[in-house]
Amino acid sequence: MRIIRVAAGLAALTMAMAACGDDSKSSSATNAPAPAATTAAPAATDAAATPTTVADTTPAPIVGGTGEGGELRLWLNGGDTPDDFVKFAIGEFNKTHPDVKVTFERQQWTGIVEKLTTALSSSDSPDIIELGNTQAQAFEAAGALEDLTAQKAALGGDDLLQSLVEAGTYNGKFYGVPYYAGARVVLYRKDLFEKSGIAIPTTIDELMAAATKLKADNASTPNFSGMYLPGKNWFAALPFIWVNGGDIAVQDGGSWKGVLDSDQAVQGLTEYQKFVEQTSGAPKDGDDSKDYLAFCNGEVGMMPAPGWKPGQIINKDDGCPAMEANIGAFAMPGLTTGTTSPAFLGGSNLAVSAKSKNPELANELLKILVSKDYQKQFADQGTVPALKSLLGDITGSDAATAQAKAAQNSRFVPSSENWAAVEASNILPDMLVAISGGADVKTEAAKADAAIEQILNG
Amino acid sequence: MAQSSTLEMENSPSMERTEHVDGITPRRRRVQPLPYLLLVPATAALVLMLGYPIVRLLTLSLQEFGLKQQFGAAADWVGLRNFREILHDPEFWAVLRRTIAFCAVNVVLTISLGMAVALLLQRLGKGMRLMTMIGLMLAWSMPALTSTVIWQWIFDTQYGIANWVLGRQGQSWLSNPLTFYFVATIIVVWMGIPFVAFTLYAGLTQIPEERMEAAAIDGAGAWQRFRDIVVPALKPILLILTSLSVLWDFRVFTQVYVLQRAGGITRDTNVLGVYAYRISIGANQFDKGAAVAIVMVGITLLVTVFYLRSMTRQEEL
Amino acid sequence: MTAVLEPSGLESSTLEPIVPRPRRRRRNLVPNLLGILVFVVATFPVYWMVLTSFRRGIDIQQPTPQFLPNPGTLANYRKVFRREFFWTAVKNSFTVTLIVLVLALFIAFLAAVAVSRFRFRGRRAFVVAILLVQMVPAEALIISLFRILDGWRLINTIAGLSLTYLAFVLPFTIWTLRGFVANVPKELEDASMVDGSSRLRAFMTITLPLVAPGLVATGIFAFIQAWNEFIFALVIMNRPEKQTLPVWLQAFNEGARGTDWGGVMAGSTLMAIPVVIFFLLVQKRVAGGLTAGAVKG
Repeated sequence: MRIIRVAAGLAALTMAMAACGDDSKSSSATNAPAPAATTAAPAATDAAATPTTVADTTPAPIVGGTGEGGELRLWLNGGDTPDDFVKFAIGEFNKTHPDVKVTFERQQWTGIVEKLTTALSSSDSPDIIELGNTQAQAFEAAGALEDLTAQKAALGGDDLLQSLVEAGTYNGKFYGVPYYAGARVVLYRKDLFEKSGIAIPTTIDELMAAATKLKADNASTPNFSGMYLPGKNWFAALPFIWVNGGDIAVQDGGSWKGVLDSDQAVQGLTEYQKFVEQTSGAPKDGDDSKDYLAFCNGEVGMMPAPGWKPGQIINKDDGCPAMEANIGAFAMPGLTTGTTSPAFLGGSNLAVSAKSKNPELANELLKILVSKDYQKQFADQGTVPALKSLLGDITGSDAATAQAKAAQNSRFVPSSENWAAVEASNILPDMLVAISGGADVKTEAAKADAAIEQILNG
Repeated sequence: MAQSSTLEMENSPSMERTEHVDGITPRRRRVQPLPYLLLVPATAALVLMLGYPIVRLLTLSLQEFGLKQQFGAAADWVGLRNFREILHDPEFWAVLRRTIAFCAVNVVLTISLGMAVALLLQRLGKGMRLMTMIGLMLAWSMPALTSTVIWQWIFDTQYGIANWVLGRQGQSWLSNPLTFYFVATIIVVWMGIPFVAFTLYAGLTQIPEERMEAAAIDGAGAWQRFRDIVVPALKPILLILTSLSVLWDFRVFTQVYVLQRAGGITRDTNVLGVYAYRISIGANQFDKGAAVAIVMVGITLLVTVFYLRSMTRQEEL
Repeated sequence: MTAVLEPSGLESSTLEPIVPRPRRRRRNLVPNLLGILVFVVATFPVYWMVLTSFRRGIDIQQPTPQFLPNPGTLANYRKVFRREFFWTAVKNSFTVTLIVLVLALFIAFLAAVAVSRFRFRGRRAFVVAILLVQMVPAEALIISLFRILDGWRLINTIAGLSLTYLAFVLPFTIWTLRGFVANVPKELEDASMVDGSSRLRAFMTITLPLVAPGLVATGIFAFIQAWNEFIFALVIMNRPEKQTLPVWLQAFNEGARGTDWGGVMAGSTLMAIPVVIFFLLVQKRVAGGLTAGAVKG
């Protein structure tokens, strides 16, 4: 007994010591409180100079400025904005406002709605926040955000991506500035295409043929998918609906009407069902969180994915960097050669909290975050920037060019303040899981319509 | 059964006299400050922290309150409209049925298996017992999120050990609501047994060994000893644990929510806790979410009322 | 509690310490096997978590499971230790948890004694209220609770989070301790007082040790609740330097490119260690029932 206690204590102690050793190396200016370590711009660049020995997702608060002129808290979510971008932005900001302390706090997407709902209404609200474009409408409608209509021109005006502007507008007022976007494309295995002698499909029929051939030629690999379509990935079904002229829901008079059971949408969904039944080896009720693993395991011929997926596939932590040369991408083709299917455009908007203590300063920082210099960084790394004028500059990989192409014909979910609730109830994933399992398309679509209408119409 | 009169022990000199328990012959009635004093910290903490939120919950359920109101818009009183909407929604009743069934199965399994493990702990030698306790402790210490993820991996459609062991490649455990709940039950029961086992074991150690041995000498079999000595001795603790399990298992959230993310059809697998969450945070309908929460309290109250009554009758309350 | 008082011919009412009888070893095979079974079932997921923490990400999910980390790696742990705010999160978690543990046990014990040893007006109401409070789903109270704490300027403070956890842990702790205190018959104290000690002294030397197992069980529960709690910590401590471990760990779930399972499991494994250590320190008391002052009669 005593021995166990001593052993446990020793184990803990050893780990602690081992950890302490490493930790001291990386605790640097980025961790120190601002006043002690900073003088205007040099502070930000000092931080930038610190070699980051960790992955690019440290949640370190990057701080700049002295604080005598006020404070700004900047919240950005997930891992989409690398630390370097933020340091650049804060550095630029501090050039003109060296006395304003800017603290960047990286947030996680999980629980962000609870966090924003509480923090934005509190006495210590962050100043700039990032909203996914499906959540933006709800917060805009609630009055949680500062009205930016007057600043719209200065923030980019007509150069801003249209569908994101729509997400950021409510009742004619502009609240959420487009930040970045991602269009969905189709990734494919270049080597498997070569082996089977397949060219990049230019129509949906060719896509089906390619997927079928891939599955046949790779039947020896267990769980192989000509087209990897896990049941819950509703984004993958949207292009099929849209390209046939259908939609999820439309506004009719003052209320929303679900149109998933219209003939056009049903046609698209039936086509999707065929893909799932004949070419997909993905779990019929799974989501897309493991798709990169399946890709690495060689189980995937093609798969619909957001533009940043190749980055995930080749990541050093749990991906397969060796696969990089074999990953290709193309925009999902449309019904006829030379067209693309409408692509789902995901993205984020930035907003200023209505309870921000320094809305004018926040606006200044916002301008930098949507400026051409800043947004160019997104284009360079293959993410769709918020500015139309930079769309042609998206470089970096197959996926980037495919995204740029796809972004030109992009669509979005119904623009309603209640849309977030539709997503929270998993109505579309439920419908697609049922359809993937072989259920009757029209019945499931009608069910989904009813549920969507109930929520959108409040 | 010698009962409450032993609680009073009026003959002890240093204790204040209290009322006679049957209220017939009231003795000198000096209100003792001591129990009230002892309760002050607890009452203060609870009232301060939970008082307002619970009152707020009640008011929210009677108002129209969405994200707009959270940010300052006026909230209208709508009386019982939220409750009516909830109770008229067939989905609510489906969710309720599912939750009750799920709760019942989980409580029965947790308590009975917990009791079995506690008895086992008592029979083991010191070393074995410590090892088993450490095992249970490790299980207990895993956060709900992590353990749900691991169990989901075990039952994963393509990469799970369960399928590998059973030789059923590609069997989806989550797409069918019944097997979905099978997995969820395993997780909840697995997480709940350690606490029940430890507590019951602690209670078991309070039973004097002599009584068991005396009964054995008298010729009572193991089952009879269990039924006639152990169970009555553990009754208060068992009842407490059962009531707690009912409360907790009725409100299960994390396990089902995380499993739903990994597979299955959400509409067919919601339990009340998740349902309430999806309505309030997911859909920003805090008013209806509050109504669901209050309905949950009401139902739990109904279920435990018989327990409360029996406790009151036995003067244990 | 009352059944223990049933008179039986063979029992004496003296207070001599019991001589522990030697256990019979003959029939221990079946229990031992069962014990191993319980151990395996209880620890398999834990084993899998630790296993994953030593695996390279790419090896984590494979069609044929592997039971040993081959090849293994320490990279996940290095990631955890190096990541910013790990040690502040550890400090925050420890502080909050220990505060909650001590306060909850103390306050709940007082309340449990009050409720099970005395009769007074409002006693029944208090007990029912304690039960009722536990029926309310905590998630429903997040926003209102945030509002109160915000009003008192306790957001992003250790005190604020500790108070919150205390409020959630107290009802259950009182409820359970009540049973343990009630299980110790008053006669023991009274018998001791016959020998001349005061009620308080009798309480400390006789009842308290007998209630110790209950205190340990509920103490472990309170520890685990506070240590592992996520959603309230996420909302109340929304500045990174104030985060507790569960919230801090969530960042691994959302790295730049999806979930870093290796990191999550390494972090979770590390988080489990203090809990186990705590248990090892107190486990002797889980079965402290039969010390001086036998429960007889």
